[in-house]
Amino acid sequence: MASSTEGAPQTVASDGKSNGVAVETPPTLQVSKRLEKFQTSIFTQTTGLAIKYQALNLGQGFPDFDGPDFIKEAAIEAIKTVGKNQYARGYGIPDLNRAIAARFKKDSGLDVDPETEVTVTTGCTEALSATMLGLLNPGDEVILFAPFFDVYEQLLAMVGATIKFVTLRPPDFSVPEKELREAFSSKTRAILVNTPHNPTGKVFSRKELELIASLCIKNNALAFTDEVYSKLIFRGEHISIATLDGMYERTVTMNSMAKTFSLTGWKVGWAIAPPQLSWGLRIAHSNLTFSTSTPLQWGAVAALQAPDAYYVDLAQNYKRRKDYLVENLSSIGFKVYEPHGTYFVMADHTPFGFDDDTAFVGHLIKNVGVAAIPPSGFYENASDGKHLVRFAFCKDDETLRKAVERMKIHLKPTSLKSTNDSAN
Amino acid sequence: MQGFDCQNVLSRRARSFKLSPIQQLSLLAQRCNAINLAEGFPDFPAPLHIKEAAVAAITADFNQYRHVQGVCEKVASAFEMAHGVKVDPATEVTLCCGQSEALAAAILAVVEANDEVVILEPAYDTYEACTILAGGKPVFVSLDPPFWSLDLKKLDAAIGPKTKAVIINSPHNPTGKVFSKVELADITNLCCKHGCLAITDEVYEHITFDDVKHVSLASFPGMKERTIVTSSLSKTFGVTGWRIGWAIAPSALTSAIQIIHTKLTDSAPAPFQEAALTALQSCPDFYKSLKQEYQFRRDYIEYVMEAINTLGIAFVPGCAFFNKSGAEENLKFHVSTDLAKKGLQMPRNLKGSNDASENLVSNPYKHRYIRVAFCKDISTLQAAKLALRRQCK
Repeated sequence: MASSTEGAPQTVASDGKSNGVAVETPPTLQVSKRLEKFQTSIFTQTTGLAIKYQALNLGQGFPDFDGPDFIKEAAIEAIKTVGKNQYARGYGIPDLNRAIAARFKKDSGLDVDPETEVTVTTGCTEALSATMLGLLNPGDEVILFAPFFDVYEQLLAMVGATIKFVTLRPPDFSVPEKELREAFSSKTRAILVNTPHNPTGKVFSRKELELIASLCIKNNALAFTDEVYSKLIFRGEHISIATLDGMYERTVTMNSMAKTFSLTGWKVGWAIAPPQLSWGLRIAHSNLTFSTSTPLQWGAVAALQAPDAYYVDLAQNYKRRKDYLVENLSSIGFKVYEPHGTYFVMADHTPFGFDDDTAFVGHLIKNVGVAAIPPSGFYENASDGKHLVRFAFCKDDETLRKAVERMKIHLKPTSLKSTNDSAN
Repeated sequence: MQGFDCQNVLSRRARSFKLSPIQQLSLLAQRCNAINLAEGFPDFPAPLHIKEAAVAAITADFNQYRHVQGVCEKVASAFEMAHGVKVDPATEVTLCCGQSEALAAAILAVVEANDEVVILEPAYDTYEACTILAGGKPVFVSLDPPFWSLDLKKLDAAIGPKTKAVIINSPHNPTGKVFSKVELADITNLCCKHGCLAITDEVYEHITFDDVKHVSLASFPGMKERTIVTSSLSKTFGVTGWRIGWAIAPSALTSAIQIIHTKLTDSAPAPFQEAALTALQSCPDFYKSLKQEYQFRRDYIEYVMEAINTLGIAFVPGCAFFNKSGAEENLKFHVSTDLAKKGLQMPRNLKGSNDASENLVSNPYKHRYIRVAFCKDISTLQAAKLALRRQCK
């Protein structure tokens, strides 16, 4: 950090007023190198444009409907109770740790100790940041599947990890075995697996997870999994890699309330990991946020006790929206890659004659009145994603219907047109 | 099957850390059925109007990812009113998950590997931990008891070309000290002379006593452009569990802090951002009675602590919740273990270096103090008084 500044240092009199000497030039504001890769998020940019052009927002992945009343009531009850507006135990209120362990047992069959193997965090985002800060060193190699949720790349850059990308490609975004084997080596510290997968909607199959597991074990690597969409499955089943032989001891399994319970703003998430890994992420977590919002943790306790019918309904409702959007996007002229999970669908926009995803989305927002996310920023090589666009269907039926209508009217495939429109 | 090698599983940053003893003590207090004067949170209800605002927000479906810019506006105008410093809410305020996250984000935004960060001891343990998480090196300067005064020469010597920032916590946890204008002016001179940043923790800004006023370091000439101010709703509004805080900093630093914050947690809890609008609109009477309530408790706990203070020196804190009392060194273990059982906490993190013997020489007082929190209902403090009297007779 440059320590010299121009001009004589100023003396400040004890009453806090300047003694008349000119104020020196401000310090060189040097921010850390770890910010080099960061820019304003594509989600923020897209939402900004959507608002500006009054487009229907099928871009940012949060619902325009709200979570269930019984959960909100539990949080409200906590707010009204003395003590429940104060610091929670750093790694989670005991009731929530127990509820998370119980739910995980039900879903995965694994018994975990709520006290030493479950850590409550400020959303899955903080589970990820704490995991990386607590368990990764600068220079560690981490394997990341592209396309990826952009925060993964940025967090890995923040901790100074070296990323090895393995690209998932249409039509089914399957794990390329050869490429994956080449990415792994004795230098591999961890692999990050997001399943069900944002933005492709892919659900990693047992075979794919077994391949990843065998490579983790062979190379003594960790697995960090983001399973926030685990309850939004339309085809196949959700499998936690931690349940495979030899994997629990080396896996951090992360999840949150946000997508399952349509409460993305509550920021209650968790990490499940064996004690030694939990220790590392707890250390980081305790210094990043100290603890997670207490009344909302009480809401989460109620949420995790939701009956099976809740999850069945959730998946069915999303499936219905998925079917609606996929069918209509196809009829409008997109080549659609039908998702097996999440509330996202990727589609190829080439038929509409735009050079890349940014140009296409710009046109879609300004001239059609629908916002979607250009996914090229989620790839190591932007060109891998420039033909694609990501739509979110976590929106109420009316919003989806209107969006489809707008696209039907204003979006026409063309094989010849090359547009002069450029998206900003 | 090859067993997992968990030898080196922690990152280097994480390896040196222990979990904070504060919460361990709370657990001990629970087990022994002790009165908890260790953790710094109230045991009386949070203000009704704020709770109602939170309930209304949840009911009105403010439950998705949100950024409530209105909170930034209120934070900016409150800061200007209190300290005379103009803050642009659009570019100079970051909403975070508590002051904890604001500080972590601030440090991660500016501290590079091997940068030094000067920390005044005794210090809240996250300052050191966040510095290490960022790859930086904490450099400690002790405040001198009994009045926790700042030796300017020591501070000047501690700041050097590698110093990225000095962290100033005022009003101060655990001592209750409020840095005076003279001290802040001196710190200003040093920061400007050395060209370093300042990061402040001002969470107790509204809890001062005896007409002592909290002054923000950022209000001194030359400081606004080099200071990151962090604070929160927690202590002022008695809602430590809501996790709503902020950082105020010049725009280049704010955009860095904002970016780090979005990677760490993405956003602060939505319904409590809404409730923050109500909290930050509280009338002057609220702040006045806040001070009065705490001052009453401060006076009471002083009276209580005299009972166990064998040296007869009781430092009257200027502010905040905490009360450090002198106690005979040779009673250290007796006092500390026993008082721990009574829910009184030993000061943490008074270490200034890795060399324990050097520590004892330079900080011979560190084992003689305990920190007592008095952000508790009067009935709690009364019960503590009775327990202490029984123990110390």
